[in-house]
Amino acid sequence: MKRKITISIIISILTLLFAVALGSVYVSPMDILRIIGSKLFHSPLPETVSDTNISIIWNLRLPRSLVAFVIGGMISVSGVIMQSVLKNPLASSYTLGVSSGASLGAGFVILFGFSLPLMGGFSLPVMGFVFGLGTMLLGISFAGRLDKGFENNTIILTGMVISLFVNAIVTLMSAVKREQMQRLIYWQMGSFSAQDWKNLFILLPIAAVGILLVFHYHRELDMLTFGEEQAKTMGVNTKLVKWILLIAAAALTGSAISFVGVIGFVDLVAPHVVRKIFGSSHRYVIPMSALLGGVFMVICDLVSRTVITNQEIPVGAVTALIGAPFFAYIFFSKRERG
Amino acid sequence: MKKIIASILFTVLLITCVGCGSSNTGTPEADTKPEETQEAESNTADDAVNEETDSKENTAAADITTDRQGNEITLPEQIERVMVAGPSNAEILVGLGYGDKIVAADVYSGNVEGLDGDLPMFDMTAPDVEKILQVEPDVIFVTGMVQSAGEDVYKPFKDAGVCVIYIPSSNSIAGIKEDIRYIAGVMGDAAKSDEIIQEMDQEIDAIRAIGETITDKKKVYFEIAAAPNMYSFGDGVFLNEMIEIIGAENILKNENEWITVAEEAVVAGNPDVILTSVNYIDNPVDEIKGRAGWDVITAVKDDAVYYIDTDASNNPSQNIVKALKEMAENIYPDKY
Repeated sequence: MKRKITISIIISILTLLFAVALGSVYVSPMDILRIIGSKLFHSPLPETVSDTNISIIWNLRLPRSLVAFVIGGMISVSGVIMQSVLKNPLASSYTLGVSSGASLGAGFVILFGFSLPLMGGFSLPVMGFVFGLGTMLLGISFAGRLDKGFENNTIILTGMVISLFVNAIVTLMSAVKREQMQRLIYWQMGSFSAQDWKNLFILLPIAAVGILLVFHYHRELDMLTFGEEQAKTMGVNTKLVKWILLIAAAALTGSAISFVGVIGFVDLVAPHVVRKIFGSSHRYVIPMSALLGGVFMVICDLVSRTVITNQEIPVGAVTALIGAPFFAYIFFSKRERG
Repeated sequence: MKKIIASILFTVLLITCVGCGSSNTGTPEADTKPEETQEAESNTADDAVNEETDSKENTAAADITTDRQGNEITLPEQIERVMVAGPSNAEILVGLGYGDKIVAADVYSGNVEGLDGDLPMFDMTAPDVEKILQVEPDVIFVTGMVQSAGEDVYKPFKDAGVCVIYIPSSNSIAGIKEDIRYIAGVMGDAAKSDEIIQEMDQEIDAIRAIGETITDKKKVYFEIAAAPNMYSFGDGVFLNEMIEIIGAENILKNENEWITVAEEAVVAGNPDVILTSVNYIDNPVDEIKGRAGWDVITAVKDDAVYYIDTDASNNPSQNIVKALKEMAENIYPDKY
C-alpha cells in the first residue's frame, strides 16, 4: 500500500510539472525551474528570462494547473461521498441538483447581470455556490419530509426531480435572454482559463476543510457501504451522518464548479479508479481520490489548452471525452472479474 | 401545430398569390398565378441564362435568381414589405434608404439607427412564424448567423411562399460591398448602392493611404468575448483586414477565422494595443487591464486598451467604416 501511495504522489508531482512545462508557448524547462525558484526563494533570475515568460509560467500556467488540481480533488472526493452514502456507483453531486442549481445562480449573474453588493467580482462564484448548495438542500430536506427513513432511493429521486425542475427554470431564463445564452452555455462547459492565485487561495482552505471533514467520517462511510441496518446496529446515527456528508460533498462540488463551471465525469472516474487500486477502505479512498482526481483534471485541462495551438477547447468536453470511455472500461472490467 | 398553420396559410397564399416560393420545387403555385407573375417568372428564367455571362457585380433586380448562399430564389414583382433577420442586413437596408420598407426585425437589429422602434421584433434563431406572417413580408433577409442553429428555421416561411434570401456573414470587405450591392439589386436598383460603396471606398482608401506609410507596425489584439472564454480572430475575417489597412498587425494573424484564444498566446504575442468590442460587462477595458499576468503586456503597461463600438465592428455592413476610424485613432493616435 505504501508503495502505491508513494507512486501516486510522484505521479501527481510529475503531472503538475508537465502541465506547467507545456502550453501554446514554449518555455525551456531550465527557465521554468529558474522562474519558480526565483519566486519561491527569491533567487536571482538571469536577464535572458523574459518578463513575458515569467508571467506565463508564474501567473498563468502555475495557478491554473494548481486550481485544476485542487478542483479535481474536491469534485472527486465529493463523488466518493455521494457514491458511498447513496450506495450507487453513478451518484454524484450533479444527480442531486448541485450543477443545475449552480447554473441557476450563474444564470442570474450572466443572463440578467445580477451583481452582489460589496463583492461584485465574486458574484458569479458566490451565487453559483449558494444556489448549488441550496438546490441540493431543498432536494434532501424534501426527501427527509417524504420519507422518515431517509432512504437512498428517495434522496436520489427527489434530487433528480428538483434538478430537472431547476434546469427547466434555467432553460426558461435562457430563452428570455437569448443574447446572453451563449455565455451561460460556455460557462456550463467549464474552463480553467483566467484562473489566478487569488482563486487558488480561496479554494484551498475550502478544499482542506471539506476533505478533512469527510475524512473524519471515514469509518462511518465504511460502515454505510455495508448497509444502513448494519451501520445502525454498530451505533452510527445514520440520518445525521448522511446529512453531514451529503452537505459537505455538495459544498465541495458547489464551491469548485462555481469558479470554473460545470465539469462532469471527474467525480465518477477518479473514485472508481482509486477503489480498484486501493480497495474500498475510505481511509485510503478519500485522500487518494483527491490526489488522482486532481491529476485527472490537470491532464484534461492540459489537453484542453494544448490540443490546438493558441486555442482552447472547453475542459468539460475533454473530461467527458476521456472520462466516458475510461469510466465504461473501469466499470465493466471490474464487473467481469467479479 | 406550426406545420398545420403553415400549410393552411400556404393554401391561403396560393389563392391570393402573394409569395414567390422557390422556383425549382415545381409547386402547383405556378398554375394558379396570375399572368403577370407568370410573365415575371419566364423573364427570370430567360435572365438566368444571361446571368452566366453577367458578372456577379452587375446584378440588376431581374437578374437575381439565387441568394448570396446560392439557393435558387424567385423575387416577387414588387417588394414593399421587408423583414430582416440580422443587424447587418438591417443596417444595409437603412443605409440604402429602404428603412421605411422594413416591417419586422430581429431583436439584435433593435438598436440599428433609423429603424422604427415599434416594429414587431422576433427571435432570429426561433422566429414566431404566425406573428411574422401576419405582417405579410414580401421578402426576408436572413443573416448567415442563423445557419449555426442547424436546421433551416426559415423553411416555414418558404413553405408559406415568402421569398427567403440568405446573406451569409461576409468575411471580407469586398464581400460586404457585394452584399450591399446585392441587397440594393434585390430591392430594385443595384445602382443605389454606388453611393454607399463609393463613400466606403473613399474612407477606407484615405486610411489605407496613411496605413501604407507605416513601417513600424504595432501589434494588435482584438477581443470579441471577454475572459474566461476569450474570443478573437485570425486571417479570413474582415476585422483582420481592417487592422492591416490601418497599418497594424493582428497578433493572431496566423490563425484562421474565429477562435477561442488561449490566454498565454495573448501574453506571448505581447500586443502594443488591445481592442475590445465586448459590451455585455460593465467595464471591459478595466477587466482586461486587471487580468492576472497581463500586466507584462505592452498594451496594458502603456494603458493602450480601448473599447470599439460593438455594432460597428461586429456587423458586416457599411458601418464597419465607423469601427475602422475608431480603431485607427486608437492604434495610431498621432497619425489619424
